[in-house]
Amino acid sequence: MRLVELSRSEHAGLRIRADLVEASAASQHLIPIVASEFRKAATQYPIVFAKNPETGRFAPYVLNGLAVEENLFWSGTELDVAYVPLNVRRQPFYVGTNDAPQGAASNVLCIDMDSPCLDGSGAKTIVNPDGSDSNYLQEILSILGELVAGQKKTEQFIASLLDLDLLAPIVLDIVLDDGTPLQVQGLYGLDEEKFRQLAAGDISSLWTTGDLNLIYAVLIASGQIFKLIRMKNQRIALRRAWHSNES
Amino acid sequence: MVSPVRSICIVGGGTAGWLTAGIIAARHRAESGRGLQITLVESETIGIVGVGEGTWPTMRSTLKKIGISESDFFRQCNASFKQGAKFSRWVTGEESDFYYHPLMLPEGFPSLDLAPFWTKYSDEHGDAPSFSAAVCFQEAICELGLAPKMITSPEYAGVANYAYHLDAGKFAGFVRDHCVKNLGIRHIVDEVTQVVKNDRGDIDHVETSKSGPLHGDLFIDASGFRSLLLGETMGVPFVDRSNVLFIDRALAVQVPYGDQHSDIVPHTLSTAQKNGWIWDIGLQSRRGVGYVFSSNHTTTDAALAELRAYVGDAHRDLQPREIKIACGHRQTFWKGNCVAVGLAGGFLEPLEASALVLIELSADMISTMMPATRETMDIVARRFNQTTQYRWDRIIDFLKLHYILSQRTDSKFWIDNRDRTSIPESLKEQMELWRYRAPGDQDFTSNNEMFPAASYQYVLFGMGFRMDVSASPLERNSGSAQRAFTQNDALKVKWTKTLPKNRDLINKIKEFGLQKI
Repeated sequence: MRLVELSRSEHAGLRIRADLVEASAASQHLIPIVASEFRKAATQYPIVFAKNPETGRFAPYVLNGLAVEENLFWSGTELDVAYVPLNVRRQPFYVGTNDAPQGAASNVLCIDMDSPCLDGSGAKTIVNPDGSDSNYLQEILSILGELVAGQKKTEQFIASLLDLDLLAPIVLDIVLDDGTPLQVQGLYGLDEEKFRQLAAGDISSLWTTGDLNLIYAVLIASGQIFKLIRMKNQRIALRRAWHSNES
Repeated sequence: MVSPVRSICIVGGGTAGWLTAGIIAARHRAESGRGLQITLVESETIGIVGVGEGTWPTMRSTLKKIGISESDFFRQCNASFKQGAKFSRWVTGEESDFYYHPLMLPEGFPSLDLAPFWTKYSDEHGDAPSFSAAVCFQEAICELGLAPKMITSPEYAGVANYAYHLDAGKFAGFVRDHCVKNLGIRHIVDEVTQVVKNDRGDIDHVETSKSGPLHGDLFIDASGFRSLLLGETMGVPFVDRSNVLFIDRALAVQVPYGDQHSDIVPHTLSTAQKNGWIWDIGLQSRRGVGYVFSSNHTTTDAALAELRAYVGDAHRDLQPREIKIACGHRQTFWKGNCVAVGLAGGFLEPLEASALVLIELSADMISTMMPATRETMDIVARRFNQTTQYRWDRIIDFLKLHYILSQRTDSKFWIDNRDRTSIPESLKEQMELWRYRAPGDQDFTSNNEMFPAASYQYVLFGMGFRMDVSASPLERNSGSAQRAFTQNDALKVKWTKTLPKNRDLINKIKEFGLQKI
């Protein structure tokens, strides 16, 4: 990855292949999301919590696979799913911080110059011929805006979960149709037992902050794990059929 | 009429006093108002000795139990990770001579004992790895200066077993603040002027300069070497053990790092000298270094010269502090309504960091066996004394083990240490048995053992002890032994690639904190 600050003049000629964006998630079993995405994400994926490997801090993710680097939604050409997280759709753009020598750090728009989406045959450009921002760039900016705005709310949500001791490790212990036992570690979920035992006052403040909605989204999303297991078993069945044709 | 035990008075506020207060309060809920009332009185003028800078892995569960966050502990106590000890120049005195006593058990231990397999292999192969390297991956981590865990590991959990190095002065203050703020312990800063006994010989109260008399149903003596309550007041004599362990002096110095990014060594360094050995403990901001020696074998000036040679020319202006160590312990540790913890109960050279762990174990025992009434206290006291005496004896055996196998002949100190009259009978017996089979759990059958059999294996084979395994039936387990050695090699590769540098992880813990789960 090579991030550089985006310049409308210098990068005016860049062509971007939007159809390659989803490939960046082809081998991601965890994709980070922000609070504003929970509702939509819950209709498609389990929402889990995991620690950032650099800081150890918790963040919410959608679970895409049942093994490290497995994305069961990846069809080979696209993510076959009704909701694609902002963190995929914003590729190959990032938000960097500009550590100004004086004053507060400000956000700057960056682009990953190593991204395979940067391709001369791409249909998207960042600026129109008249120099104004293209619709494509405006869309990207609104995605990044939502991510930046959602970051703070997400961190507050995590803090209140930790405050109330509502996170607990989950180990997915699954036996697949071919008999392989499967264990996914390092994932955390809501401790439903503790949630049910919360005092009325705690529930009320979770309601006021909007965290209660997020908690229910996570609870409802937990059932999506069965979809992942079914998808995985379908893959196994397909592979078996393939091999038996071969022999 | 029964006299219930409702209040405890602790005299002395070093690590011993505050840890004991915390451990008892965490169990007996002092802050609820219904549990035991705990008062701790400490002097403003008497400093703390603060020599305990190395802990055992037990400190993790102790801190957790009293409700302390591991991240806060790292932020406030100058603490670092300790993954055992590296003993240099203990066997032959050569520059290249070293072995490890790691904190992890050998692979497969105790259901599988790799010692005879390693012995047989190294009998037959000149280039065999050392025992600790062959059976455990911790030495490899330590040699690379790596931490025992990752930033994603929860508080108090690790990839490799670990203990801590800490600044004893900061640690006492840190535990004190927690005890006063969260555990409801009454803290009095005052001088104890007199200890007053009642008719039956118990301590009735201690007089203080400004705060009046302090009463208690049970008194805990954490007054340090002075042993104000147990020794001076209750008259329990001191039992000298310097006939076994000769070290009676320490020269301690604090050595700054070259710069703030210097590696922090993730284990205790113990380097043998002519008349004792030098400890070297890496904290966040400095190293704690000290030479413990026998004043019967050398002079302070000569020892000082050896210490200066160790710390190097760059630090020649540092002024070491001399501490006299009385090697031994009180004849009993609990008499009447008075029990001693920490230095007030006794002290041994810091070779295997036994000081703090004995405080934890004693406080834990006082807390779990807390007598409900004065009438039942004598039973508890008898059991406490029995167990504590057993623990001291086992520590003394284990420390002596480090000396009796040395091949050094460069001073009378090392030669005298091998004199059979200086070796406890219990250790001699074990050594006889271990000529033909490795130390195992069958040799340590009390519920109150100090060091696991594996620790004896690490020191024994690290010190070059050879076992005769010609008559051992090894065939039956040779498959599992081979698998265990292979597994250890795989773990070594995995964790040396994955674990962060010790200082890097400590910096991250200070910045981001560890999660509780």
